[in-house]
Amino acid sequence: MTGIIGNLIKWTPYMLSGCALTIKLFLIVIVFSLPFGLLLTFLYTGKSKIIGAVVGFYILVMRGTPLLLQIFFVWYGLPFIPKIGKYVTFSDRFTAGCVAYIFNYAAYFAEIFRGGLLSVDKGQFEAAKVLGLSETQTTFKIVLPQMIRISLPAVSNEAIILIKDTALITTLGLYDLLKVTNNIVNTTTNITAFGVAACFYLIMSSVLTVVFNRLEKKYAF
Amino acid sequence: MKKMIEVKNLKKSFGDLQVLKDVSFDISEGEVVAVLGPSGSGKSTMLRCLIDLETIDGGSVLIEGESFFKDGAYAKKKQKKAILDKMGMVFQHFNLFPHMNITENMLCAPLCTKQGSKKELQALCSELLEKVGLSDKKDAMPSQLSGGQKQRVAIARALMRKPDIMLFDEPTSALDPELTKEVLDVIKELSAEKMTMVIVTHEIGFAAEAADKIVFLDEGVVAACGTPDEVLKNSGNERINAFLNKVM
Repeated sequence: MTGIIGNLIKWTPYMLSGCALTIKLFLIVIVFSLPFGLLLTFLYTGKSKIIGAVVGFYILVMRGTPLLLQIFFVWYGLPFIPKIGKYVTFSDRFTAGCVAYIFNYAAYFAEIFRGGLLSVDKGQFEAAKVLGLSETQTTFKIVLPQMIRISLPAVSNEAIILIKDTALITTLGLYDLLKVTNNIVNTTTNITAFGVAACFYLIMSSVLTVVFNRLEKKYAF
Repeated sequence: MKKMIEVKNLKKSFGDLQVLKDVSFDISEGEVVAVLGPSGSGKSTMLRCLIDLETIDGGSVLIEGESFFKDGAYAKKKQKKAILDKMGMVFQHFNLFPHMNITENMLCAPLCTKQGSKKELQALCSELLEKVGLSDKKDAMPSQLSGGQKQRVAIARALMRKPDIMLFDEPTSALDPELTKEVLDVIKELSAEKMTMVIVTHEIGFAAEAADKIVFLDEGVVAACGTPDEVLKNSGNERINAFLNKVM
């Protein structure tokens, strides 16, 4: 027993460093994919049919193919593209991973926000119009706050999925929480570390749940 | 008397369905006009055409003598906007902005459109909330209000633009019966102040009492137009009598 606890204490800094990478990846992806997704929503539902079709196709591809394939594609695949390959290559694995996640998650967020947009009552647009608001003012003052509020539960859901999806970055050889845990298990030939890692993931998703619940309450109407 | 709204041969279709076949009527300054008619007669569509929520297909609409729609075309963008700025509209379902409190609901549009200084607008806001009897609700959220209160706020919000003409699209249809009176009272008060109003309604009693004129629409045409007595009592029109028998 002391052996296990002793091991745990010994390996804790190592696991925390894995956590740090996981959290860093999560934060970067969330910060960039949310606004990117919002932009995609407006392009998708906007006036230009051509742009709408392009965005529709983008979302189809991003949601219709495995995230892992996309991660591999960005890191291993891009350099092999003839002629332009060397210009779209990323210098480090972490950046490549972030890009793949952001492009993938933005597509999901775009659809979530589109759902929110569709849920905004038509009467809101009409009221804004007869009150003399321009289309831009209507979008930013009236529609956006409501669609984001409506989208919050789904965004929360997606964020929790992301926390767990970060484990896929292990495949690029980066030392995220899962990778270091696996190393510890292999080194110690003891599975306790898996349990500890599971707890870490659980704590992170619980924190997210609490944060989003607070946001929902704060912006309730 | 100055003509505020002149509608001639107004036409509107949704696909193959011709909702407004040929609607013509005039409204003078300070007049309160109730638009009655069976459901599907085109009342709401007609009202929405006046404030650009539906595109007009034909005929002409003049607002305060200026052509809003004529010869198959709308006025130029700037003129159209100037005309629309003279009108306020109140909806059946209030359409308050749920994420803003009452004061924000009132001030959002006038501040965005730079209708006046913040101070002036705040003063006007307090004045109008007092007028509709909701000064104590200025910080409340729409979800905390009853239907009747919401509709009174919606009326006050529309009045923030200082409109010459107010349009009401079934303002009491979504309200519990005991809440309709407080809304109708506000409308009556506006009528006493000589506000020009067009009210699509199912409240025959209210129309008879408060309206100067009744426009009775049926299947996209004006079946009758005149004082409440003329239209409701002795029009001799079978469709009107059938309608009145059903609702009274």
